[in-house]
Amino acid sequence: MRLHLGGHLAWYESQKRSRVEISVPRSTLLIDVLRELVIPPGEIAIAVVNGAAVDLQTARVSDADRVELFPPVGGGM
Amino acid sequence: MTYGTTGKILRVDLTNRTTRVETFDEAFYRVYPGGKALAAYILLRELPRGAEPFDPANILVLANGVLTGAPFSTATRYTVIARSPLTRGFGEAEAGGFWGPELKMAGWEAVVITGRAEKPVYLWIKNDQVEIRDARHLWGRDPEEVQNTIRAELSDKLIRILQIGIGGENLVRFAGLTNELRHFNARTGMGAVMGSKNLRAVAVRGTTRYADLAQDPKTIAALGTTLAKRVKEHPQSWDLQSKGTPGLVDGLNAAGILPTRNFHQGAFENVDDIKWEKYEKELLTARRSCYACAVRCKREVKVDNRYQVSDAYGGPEYESLDSLGPNCGIGDLQALAKANELCNRYLLDSISCGATIAFAMECFEHGLIGLKETGGIDLRFGNTEAMLTMIELIAKRQGIGDLLAEGTRRAAEIIGGDARYFAMQVKGQELPMHDPRGKTAVGLMYAINEAGADHLAAAHDTVLANPDSVGFKGAAPLGIEALPARELSERKARTYFILENWVSAEKVTGLCYFGPTPRSFIQVDEVVNALRAATGWDVTAQEVMRIGERATNLARAFNVREGFTRQQDILPERLHQPLENGALAGALISKEEFNNAMNALYRLKGWDPVTTAPTRAKLRELGIEWVADLLEEK
Repeated sequence: MRLHLGGHLAWYESQKRSRVEISVPRSTLLIDVLRELVIPPGEIAIAVVNGAAVDLQTARVSDADRVELFPPVGGGM
Repeated sequence: MTYGTTGKILRVDLTNRTTRVETFDEAFYRVYPGGKALAAYILLRELPRGAEPFDPANILVLANGVLTGAPFSTATRYTVIARSPLTRGFGEAEAGGFWGPELKMAGWEAVVITGRAEKPVYLWIKNDQVEIRDARHLWGRDPEEVQNTIRAELSDKLIRILQIGIGGENLVRFAGLTNELRHFNARTGMGAVMGSKNLRAVAVRGTTRYADLAQDPKTIAALGTTLAKRVKEHPQSWDLQSKGTPGLVDGLNAAGILPTRNFHQGAFENVDDIKWEKYEKELLTARRSCYACAVRCKREVKVDNRYQVSDAYGGPEYESLDSLGPNCGIGDLQALAKANELCNRYLLDSISCGATIAFAMECFEHGLIGLKETGGIDLRFGNTEAMLTMIELIAKRQGIGDLLAEGTRRAAEIIGGDARYFAMQVKGQELPMHDPRGKTAVGLMYAINEAGADHLAAAHDTVLANPDSVGFKGAAPLGIEALPARELSERKARTYFILENWVSAEKVTGLCYFGPTPRSFIQVDEVVNALRAATGWDVTAQEVMRIGERATNLARAFNVREGFTRQQDILPERLHQPLENGALAGALISKEEFNNAMNALYRLKGWDPVTTAPTRAKLRELGIEWVADLLEEK
């Protein structure tokens, strides 16, 4: 599974990477993957799987999926 | 005096070429502790009612906050305030960088400039020595050349220079200022006011230390050490250092609120071409900082390819990337770096400049302006070269640039027809690149802010939607609620009100939006303790919010005095229409919900819901009842 951690979500990844490739059992709950990676769900505002927004609590993912996660975005400069 | 200031204001009359020193006492400063509060006080008391923005009587105030120059991260900001040529109301623009702290070290809390010099001049402040110097040789020159020339002729490389550019000289209504070429007081046309005074630059050198001004310098120094260490240990500040604001692009696009094609759309089909990974690979040469700040959120870029982009003027922030990019239908990253450099070189506000070009593109596509008006330029969305040419024409007020230099509201009035529907502005100031259809309190912020549409006047809903998020938990002690980003309600108005007061206090005390929670890593008690250490005052978080609320009320009173009413506290019609694409396709702001939330907000603020004037009771509560007397004068 190709995982993109947008914004400050990459801070939680053990090596602070914003792009991670991981292997997951077929039809795994995305929320369980995040638990494994120690990425707090409270920081995730948007979850996108293969280009479509999904519900973080119920979405299931497999190895072939492209997953993008974004934190809440505040003001710029 | 040891309460974070020398208690000195420098008064400059450019017409008569005179300067004088004014002092204030601690009791005054506790009510107006610098920045926006001090500047608004001066503007409201001293600017003659009805004096126009380019009238020599207009007052340009450059003001530090009580914490500006304190040696801890994000305590760098100063404000520039005057009557705005873009809105004809309260104008303000804050910046970080190095100039504010240098002014503090020179012993001044503020510089107040009136009149108009007969010929171009610049101001030279070295501690308590002040000189008005000839600037005829600097007029019309690029900021980098001006900075080098001033440092050479004064034989001091450490001089910090605040200046306008060609945009301000030509009275472009959204012209800004820069210090150190990389930090910008961009909004509301303060550069044009300075240009109207024939003042090109204010050069400063100071040799005192903040520690000599603070009541408890040891506590301030300890906070500096703590925060410098925390930058990398806190996700929000780590992200600002790692990616900076350009990192916002993909998240906003995924959320469906990346303003695209003049706010018609919320997602851009070529967003991959302007994402942070590409920016880092193709543009980035360094991460830069403001005075004593460990966050280092500023980007430096250089391009030597299809475009030549100098590394002198700073890299594009998120706002510039989107306003000149997707909002104009453009996804060419190198061209956007060039466009950003041009805005910074000419000293135009890149938000208003991009928004004005997007407006012109939509007018062109609807046949309201044609090739005759554009001088043969095919001004359609997506035309990169046309966008770059427009920046040049606006800065020099050539061709159609002369019309667009007036900003979208005035240009729409001149063009006529449906053009006003394409002007994405509030009170005359163009919208920043955040779509309230996905974060409704940003709509309240755009509508009610005294300086027109501003994205840094409060926290954004998205940061506060989840009670488990680091942003919400940080700001929770202020008494806010976690609410869905798209909810628009009385309780949303209440949370907005609390955070507007909190953020407004940053503009008074001199802290950056990227310092305190909920946007970043400095906690509520640390802000309070920093103020206590600087001043010796027994302040609380509630008093900090009252400091912010008081400054907002002064700005509001200024607008009310100049004839502003609730009719100016509205949003562009387009935001009440559905977004065309992206994750929030179909989303809009309901007029009924918006009006109800605004009613709630006026109630919370203690303002009349029709005139928007603060009530006498509110002004008394804030310790500024004199403002009620002033508003009652005919």
